[in-house]
Amino acid sequence: MRRYFFGLLLIQLLIPTLSAQEWIVPADKKGKLSTFPFNDETRKAGEKLYSINCMSCHGTPGKANYLPLVPPPGDPATEKIQKNNDGEIFYKVSVGRGQMPSFRSVLTSNEIWNVVSFLRSFNTAYKQQVMPVITSSAYPGAVIGLLVSFNPADSTIILKASATSEKSSVPVADAEVKLLVKRTFGMLPVDEPQTTDKEGLATFRVPADLKGDTAGMVLVSARFTDEDVFGSAGKDTLLNAGQKVTPVSLVAQRAMWNNVRKAPVWIILAYGLGVLIAWGFILLVLMKLRDIYLVGEIVSSDKKE
Amino acid sequence: MSGSQIKSEGYSERLETVSSDILRNVRFNKGFILWMGFLILALAACLFAYYIQLRKGLGVTGLRDVTSWGMYIANFVFFVATSLVGMLISSVLGLSGAQWVKPIARIAEIIAVAFAAVAGLVIISDMGRPDRLPYVFLFGRVQSPILWDVTVVTTYFFVSLLLWFLPVIPDLAIAKTRLNGRPGILIKVYELLSLKWIHHPKQYEILRQAMRVLLILIVPLAFAIHTVTSWLFAVTPRPGWDSSIFGPYFISGAFVSGTAAVIIAMYFFRVSYKLQKYLTEDHFEKIGRVLVLVSIVYLYFNLNEFMVPGYKLKSLDAIHLKELFAGEYAPLFWGVQLLGLVIPVILLLFRRFRKPFPMLIISIAVLAAAWLKRYIIVVPPQGHPFLPVQHVPVEWVIYKPTLIETAVTFASIILVLIIVTVLSKLFPILPIWELAEDESGSDIDKTDNN
Repeated sequence: MRRYFFGLLLIQLLIPTLSAQEWIVPADKKGKLSTFPFNDETRKAGEKLYSINCMSCHGTPGKANYLPLVPPPGDPATEKIQKNNDGEIFYKVSVGRGQMPSFRSVLTSNEIWNVVSFLRSFNTAYKQQVMPVITSSAYPGAVIGLLVSFNPADSTIILKASATSEKSSVPVADAEVKLLVKRTFGMLPVDEPQTTDKEGLATFRVPADLKGDTAGMVLVSARFTDEDVFGSAGKDTLLNAGQKVTPVSLVAQRAMWNNVRKAPVWIILAYGLGVLIAWGFILLVLMKLRDIYLVGEIVSSDKKE
Repeated sequence: MSGSQIKSEGYSERLETVSSDILRNVRFNKGFILWMGFLILALAACLFAYYIQLRKGLGVTGLRDVTSWGMYIANFVFFVATSLVGMLISSVLGLSGAQWVKPIARIAEIIAVAFAAVAGLVIISDMGRPDRLPYVFLFGRVQSPILWDVTVVTTYFFVSLLLWFLPVIPDLAIAKTRLNGRPGILIKVYELLSLKWIHHPKQYEILRQAMRVLLILIVPLAFAIHTVTSWLFAVTPRPGWDSSIFGPYFISGAFVSGTAAVIIAMYFFRVSYKLQKYLTEDHFEKIGRVLVLVSIVYLYFNLNEFMVPGYKLKSLDAIHLKELFAGEYAPLFWGVQLLGLVIPVILLLFRRFRKPFPMLIISIAVLAAAWLKRYIIVVPPQGHPFLPVQHVPVEWVIYKPTLIETAVTFASIILVLIIVTVLSKLFPILPIWELAEDESGSDIDKTDNN
């Protein structure tokens, strides 16, 4: 019996330990590095992204004013978080765990690196290591680029990947590419990731209900899935591939949250009728009081005569 | 009943007895002046606290970001609740033909008028910028329960005032010739307010019609006033307020506190005005039964209000309920439920406790518990909002009423006492004409030694 209780106690003690265990990042992701060097510009961009996406839980770095959650989100300026290497931070932000959401589809790789850049500004001991320029074995010395265009005839977006060097430009074949469109919150994947053919071409089907701006324009971002090989070369292009959408203001129509002139009709009627009926009856009673007075006056003046 | 010019036998003698018994109290005696002097001094002291609040802002209260509705709003809910008794006594019981409520109805109306009038002022004390009160009417949104509340409190106050005033008119006419030795101004006021009442049958008929309109109108109004007050909470997403039965829960609670207030008032008028002949033990016995009934209904709503969320235990509800049942608020919660509801119901089931004095004690306990219950409804749920309040000092999280807040709250209670005193002392406290018309006259002729 005692052993049983001891076991229970051990489990009780272990549960919090287990839940607070180290966040292990896969070995092959640990060494991931930014492809660009961090500078004031990246730090500034990172600060902006941090305040939108991270601050609500992690607070202002260095102030330790993060939310009192279990487990605590922690202050990114502290050693606990800073001792992660770049690849580990990148992985944790991308994938998320428990209450920490995944930012993979919200931020682009470059944006996550900008956030890392901002966080590193709180670490004076930090020295950045930049990923050596990718020179894929197949395309030595070439700059790999993506080009997208919209084909309205069959509602597809055609992507062309090519490796351009000083001398020539060759198509990038057999590379997995993905297409994302910018939405209000994050990037939305369009169609499945595709593999380029011999000409370096890939075709994405555009959903019929893809919403664009008032002119039908959408910001399309093309990227290689395997950034380690092809780099984070991406291409953001405005294409006329969406539906024309004229946004309706949330305060244009009658609504509960609107001002009183645009209140729902039923609530105006309910309130108005209620007030009218109640005060109508009150008026009726006041008239009766007047009648009482008049009866008194007439009768007493009759008596005097 | 009233209205017939052919009065029953012995009417004029009864009228003389009743009017002399009741009008005896309409005078400025030493006790009245001392009592009013005390009340006005106390009010002035408490209003000084409000002056400080006005000058320095709501920071002098315990109200902060987390708990922004504290003692003031709890007090407001209590006032609205207590004022509902006017409707219960005069309308629900009166219209159902309960003759025994006749001498109590006016007391209930005085309570209703006083509490409804001050409820509006209590809301102003909770405003950081009371100078912006007109904005409620200028820019009020019909979608907000605040506008509904302001409207309905005003309307209810006005109707309660009429409901008190109408049956007073014939009494004023009776009294104005019998007020020898009182200040001339009082007689002038009586003359003016009696609206040339000459006991003409036509006048009685009109009065009866007007009363009937008011007695019916007050029922939906009273339901509206407290349902709308409950909406202030129920439409605000908070664990503990997120309830669909808040309207009836509030109304049933209102009947409890209002009935207790009427019993306390009845006791004091009976003793200090020597009205044992009119406010008999039988009246206490009957209103004691009413208190039992409304308390049991309230108990039922309490059960429902805590059982359903207690069964589902949504995470924040669970924190809230745990705090009430076993946490920080547990002594207050169980004290209120037991001393203010369960034990009074059990005691009042026995006839020996439905006597004036035991009922006074029980009613004081019930009324005090009713106030504290509003505090429990208003304050604890704000400690656990659905979205955490961030970046505030720790001392802002726990609400503690300050001395100034308490003094301002006392001011409102003193104001109620002043209104009750004025209405009960300067005007007949019991309906002379109705009591004189009462053919049975049984209680009046009997000598009651209690």
